[in-house]
Amino acid sequence: MELVWHAAVSGAVLGLVYALVSLGLSLIWGVMDVVNLAHAEYLMLAMYATYWLWALGKVDPLAAVPVVVPVFFGFGWLTYQLLVRRIVRAPVAAQIFATFGLLFVLRYAAFAAFGPNVYGVWRLGEGTVSVLGVPVATSKAAAGVVSLAAFLGLSAFLRFTKAGKALQAAAQSREVALSLGIPVDRMYALSWGIGIASVALAGALLIPFYQVSPTIGDAFLLVAFASVVLGGFGRVDGALVGGLCIGLLENLLGTLLSPTLKLLFVFAVFVLMLLVRPQGLLGEPGR
Amino acid sequence: MRRAAAWLLPAAVVAVPLWVRDSFFLNAMIHVFLFGAAAQAWNLLGGYAGQISFGHAAFFGIGAYATAWLLSHHGLSPWAGLWVGAALAACASLLVGYPTFRLRRHFFALATLALAEIVRISFLNWEVVGAATGLYLPLGYRNRFEFLMWDAKAPYYWTALTAFALATGVVWVVDRHRAGRYLRAVEQDEDAAEMLGIPTRRYKLYAMGLSAALTALCGGLYALYVLYIDPYNVMASRISLLVVVIALIGGRGTVWGPVLGAPFVVLLNEYTRAWLGGAGSGADFILFGLVVVLLSLYQPRGLVGLLAKPARPVPVAVAGAGAEAPEPPPTAPREEVVLEIRDVRKSFGGVQAVRGVDLSVRRGEILGLVGPNGAGKSTLFDCLTGFVRPDAGSARLRGRPLLGLAPHRVAWAGLGRTFQAIRVFPELSVWDNVLCGAEHRGESLWEATAGEAPRAVQDRATALLRFFGLWEARDRPAGELSYGQQKLLSLAMVVLREPEVVLLDEPAAGVNPVLVEEMGRHLRALNAAGLTFVVIEHNMEFVMRTCHRVAFMAEGQVVTAGRPEEVQRDPRVLELYYGR
Repeated sequence: MELVWHAAVSGAVLGLVYALVSLGLSLIWGVMDVVNLAHAEYLMLAMYATYWLWALGKVDPLAAVPVVVPVFFGFGWLTYQLLVRRIVRAPVAAQIFATFGLLFVLRYAAFAAFGPNVYGVWRLGEGTVSVLGVPVATSKAAAGVVSLAAFLGLSAFLRFTKAGKALQAAAQSREVALSLGIPVDRMYALSWGIGIASVALAGALLIPFYQVSPTIGDAFLLVAFASVVLGGFGRVDGALVGGLCIGLLENLLGTLLSPTLKLLFVFAVFVLMLLVRPQGLLGEPGR
Repeated sequence: MRRAAAWLLPAAVVAVPLWVRDSFFLNAMIHVFLFGAAAQAWNLLGGYAGQISFGHAAFFGIGAYATAWLLSHHGLSPWAGLWVGAALAACASLLVGYPTFRLRRHFFALATLALAEIVRISFLNWEVVGAATGLYLPLGYRNRFEFLMWDAKAPYYWTALTAFALATGVVWVVDRHRAGRYLRAVEQDEDAAEMLGIPTRRYKLYAMGLSAALTALCGGLYALYVLYIDPYNVMASRISLLVVVIALIGGRGTVWGPVLGAPFVVLLNEYTRAWLGGAGSGADFILFGLVVVLLSLYQPRGLVGLLAKPARPVPVAVAGAGAEAPEPPPTAPREEVVLEIRDVRKSFGGVQAVRGVDLSVRRGEILGLVGPNGAGKSTLFDCLTGFVRPDAGSARLRGRPLLGLAPHRVAWAGLGRTFQAIRVFPELSVWDNVLCGAEHRGESLWEATAGEAPRAVQDRATALLRFFGLWEARDRPAGELSYGQQKLLSLAMVVLREPEVVLLDEPAAGVNPVLVEEMGRHLRALNAAGLTFVVIEHNMEFVMRTCHRVAFMAEGQVVTAGRPEEVQRDPRVLELYYGR
């Protein structure tokens, strides 16, 4: 029983980071109905960035956050301006293929730059903190706390600031928002900035306990999609609920059944969810 | 000259191993053919049917494992094992496709992505097929034709080439016949295809099963070539991605796309790896990624689209250039009720869009359905045609119940419908558009794959295109026609199979006065030839001159129905419509 409790707590902590990974995907999907297949590649690049800051500059991963996050905000903004704005109103197939091509470029750019090797941040003698009676590595606990803070911050931004409300308006209806004088194009760019910044934050939080390689995006892309579909896409709370569920599911089933099969269960639940309730746990029915 | 080239080039490709001994090149070409064939298989589903799969590695792997396992554990010849693998892959694909095809397209893409991971992880942990250790193919069977394994590269070259030719042949056959036209219609506008009677899900499943089976054949041949398989070399996501990239760069939805894409992508891939070594690995994939991004922005048909000559513009005759209606015997409106609508109701949330509509449509009449915006006219059409499920009521077409049927079943029952916004298939030619409107009831997949529409249907399509003045434009993509011409085309599409009743949603809206006039003439001529119409229209002048009877709808109900002059003078109509 204690084993299960331990698995649940560390699963929840991991789930918070998963939630942060899927937040950007969900936000961009919800705001402009574009599914970014390259989403997890930004995670991979942010993990590399944080790793190299640590390896070459001796910068602690948490201390790197103020550098990495703004840079990736710019990266997301730029991606929108150079590529995504041209496909916002293109057929679904063109959108899928454009971000699919982007996935290739980013992934193999990392391959060319860093090679196929696995890199990780090693810190000897890292302490633990007690979370609900379970010892959790400090870096993991910090990742959970920062993720939660990021969620609260984004929710507050969307709810209480003018830009946040404008973003929601643009998500509801492009035409109505335009006619009200909301610069929809800028709102879209903003959502890409925020979306990519948040996944970069997740990358910086993950690197102390998760190794990076160029193909790491595969697993994370599916985990992020699973979270988004589970919680209901286009919703901040949906990403949080979905991420937590996926983290819990992965850790509990991995502990109880077999660790090698844990991702299998995640994807199986994801496919089942697509079939049974494609609008997600929190989403409203309808196409 | 061109004919000679058309024979010499394939002959040269077949003869290559007779004088080329460079084993690196032959190895590269074997990869070109096998992955080209897999890309061709993907093309059937992702290109023609428009269902984008990122999980074809699963089918490739299933084929490889079935062939290898049956051979190594049971000594079963690959001639049987390949087909077992194909059948298994087809079954697996239908299991995924059947439930996911009702979702929007990117959900299907995501589901295939997840499926491939599920299959890969399962095989990684499945002891029977060697788990992570993989399977070795028994070497004792080499150099025997019944086991398709050799020491030399040349025989592999020819078997791989045969697979490539087979896959391309299958796609060519589909492309040339009805099935290809229907798949492309499904890709461009699924609802419109349904309403013409095309059973869209059946065609998507057909494309998926065929695609998975062909991909599994490639996987089986690949296993026989590499002689050792594990989940990393036959089920990696790299294979799914490679197949997609070949088809995309070559040109998806075209027969020759994967044929051009495969040598481009695979040779570049093999040779950059050889020239640049480990340091440069990935450089070619960056290039592929850039090319895919650029093509998605500027040339969706890939290399084929870039190489194809721009079509010569064909002059389009003025619509209705004096041609006669296809079948002249005139019929006056009779009293026989052909479509009987009773108490149909539909609410959306708290809004009652249709509140108990009763309406009888008589054979041979043109019935106008008028009323202010929001009266529930289009919702009534949606209820009748299966796009919206009504809360209550019944509708019978010649006594057969309509409500609860899927749209294509409604079409099969004999109801046709056009949409308020134009729903032609923009990238299909005018001719293909019209033929999408053929009768689909009882049309088997085999007929659709193996043959063109019957002579009589083609004759009628020809007559209709002449009648609507679109004959000269028959080879042009429908998207190039003017708005009014597209309206005429959508009318031609729906009347081709001569439905019992045709529902038209605002046929005269948004077109110029000359064309409004013409549309009315066309409707009366088609009506004289025996067709029954129900027409939603706001243009009262058009309604007065075209319709035999008019039903007036407001607030979800039919307020009154009768001869046009009577309805127009009805005080309730004046009040509700003109706000007096």
